[in-house]
Amino acid sequence: MLEQIELRVKGLNFYYSGGIHALKQINLQIHSNQVTALIGPSGCGKTTLLRCFNRMHDLYPGNRYEGAIHFVKDDILSPDVDLISLRSRIGMVFQKPTPFPMSIFDNIAYGLKLKGTKKRADLSELVEKALHHAALWDEVKDKLNASAYDLSGGQQQRLVIARALAVKPEVLLFDEPTSALDPISTAKIEELMEKLKKEITIIIVTHNMQQAARISDRTGFMMLGELIEFDRTDKIFTAPSEKLTEDYVTGRFG
Amino acid sequence: MIRTTKKNPVDMIFSVVTGAASFTVIIFIVAILYELVHQSGPAIERFGIWKFLSSTDWNPVTESFGALTNIYGTVLTTFLSLLMAIPVAIGIAVFVTEISPNVMKGPIGIAIELLAAIPSIIYGMWGLFTLSPIMSTYIEPFLKNIFAGVPVVGILFQGTPMGIDILTASIILSIMIIPFTASISRDSFNLTPAVVKESAYALGATKWEVVRDVVIPYSKLGVFGGIVLSLGRALGETMAVAFVLGNNHRITTSLFDAAATITVTLANEFAEADTDIYLSSLFYLALVLFVMSFITLAAAKFFLLKAERKYSR
Repeated sequence: MLEQIELRVKGLNFYYSGGIHALKQINLQIHSNQVTALIGPSGCGKTTLLRCFNRMHDLYPGNRYEGAIHFVKDDILSPDVDLISLRSRIGMVFQKPTPFPMSIFDNIAYGLKLKGTKKRADLSELVEKALHHAALWDEVKDKLNASAYDLSGGQQQRLVIARALAVKPEVLLFDEPTSALDPISTAKIEELMEKLKKEITIIIVTHNMQQAARISDRTGFMMLGELIEFDRTDKIFTAPSEKLTEDYVTGRFG
Repeated sequence: MIRTTKKNPVDMIFSVVTGAASFTVIIFIVAILYELVHQSGPAIERFGIWKFLSSTDWNPVTESFGALTNIYGTVLTTFLSLLMAIPVAIGIAVFVTEISPNVMKGPIGIAIELLAAIPSIIYGMWGLFTLSPIMSTYIEPFLKNIFAGVPVVGILFQGTPMGIDILTASIILSIMIIPFTASISRDSFNLTPAVVKESAYALGATKWEVVRDVVIPYSKLGVFGGIVLSLGRALGETMAVAFVLGNNHRITTSLFDAAATITVTLANEFAEADTDIYLSSLFYLALVLFVMSFITLAAAKFFLLKAERKYSR
């Protein structure tokens, strides 16, 4: 398959409201239909970078971006970007499962309703599709009206993925999606990502280097707000060009 | 050396003193309840429970007393004040937690607390000298013009607007309870995990949608508890209402009529209670209020506890 570029980060700098320079001159390219992993020690800026892609930092006043992130033709960081439509094109899944205080069905239907789908029949169809998509349908099909809080942590996380998928995003951002889950639930979610990348582009922040090695096609290693190295995953883990990367992936620090 | 069996004598004294302090609270509650029941004895004997609660009589001359007009006034003013206070209070809480820039959060919070700190007699005075004339000259005639001719709703707006009536008292009461409802709602809203709100934003929700679909449903138990707590306060409020409610022992349907609440009756009539049964009936009335407040407070605690458990999961 011809490799296409989905997102192009150019000279990105990011400052938190207190003036902390959290991302320094980041340049990288996210390939379509691949899983890109961001790794690095705590506080290296990987989550900060992830949250730039859907402009999550805009929720808190005083944060400042410099540079550009090209998404197809547009610059995500341009001030006149419509954040609501941006966020329905670039979805996000968080570290802890974040079901809303409503039923399983309504959780999935929520994003659809926001986008204007009103008819019950359409909603039912799309909700079922999204649940199949996230490999959750068989477990919840008999209790769609039950509270989402009744599900296990792993199921909740897949519910949240289904909710994000329902609005048909082009990119899905995962912020350490399995760090609160047991190994079996983790395996299910990794399997799911493998399947999903046929249709969408995935960026995942992870603390778990084995996870990055298992599921990603490309890996970026970050430290102190800088992108130290960005390359094919097999190269990062077997023959990195930077000494720092090698030290980190071999477990010498971090 | 680690002492395991022998207690430190200072610690012993400390526990006894603090324990005694705590027990006085229970002693006071029991003592007050005992006094209320004891003093209302003759009235309970004479009027029974159901008859006292359902009778609209309040006649010192014939010595026939019933609580219904007072309960009606209490419940009606409380209900109306909540009706007006809740939307404002929730609006304040939403603004402070979700909308206002950080620099304004502090000052608004302080203003709310100051509103709560004003002694209720001052509300009463302000109600009598400022609000009441405004009500009788501007607002009430205006409402009457609009609604008096409307079927059903019109019943609420009959009679001469005097400014000393159920409507004015309810407004004063609502201003008094806004701070409580607002600050408890604010605290409940703050319990909504940021990450849950963020995931709604991440789906493309607007601020209004996040508040409506995530923040309010997430904190509804806490908000409800806050409302019940304010209800308890409105039930027992005396001074703010006494000035602007009149003292009228009749069940009226118009908001422009004077009425009586339990508290207002108690505040006004002890001095003139010249017979034993009159005095005893006032105590009986106080006992009714005690039970009403106790039930609302218990309900509030119950909901707040349930809310806490839900969040701590």
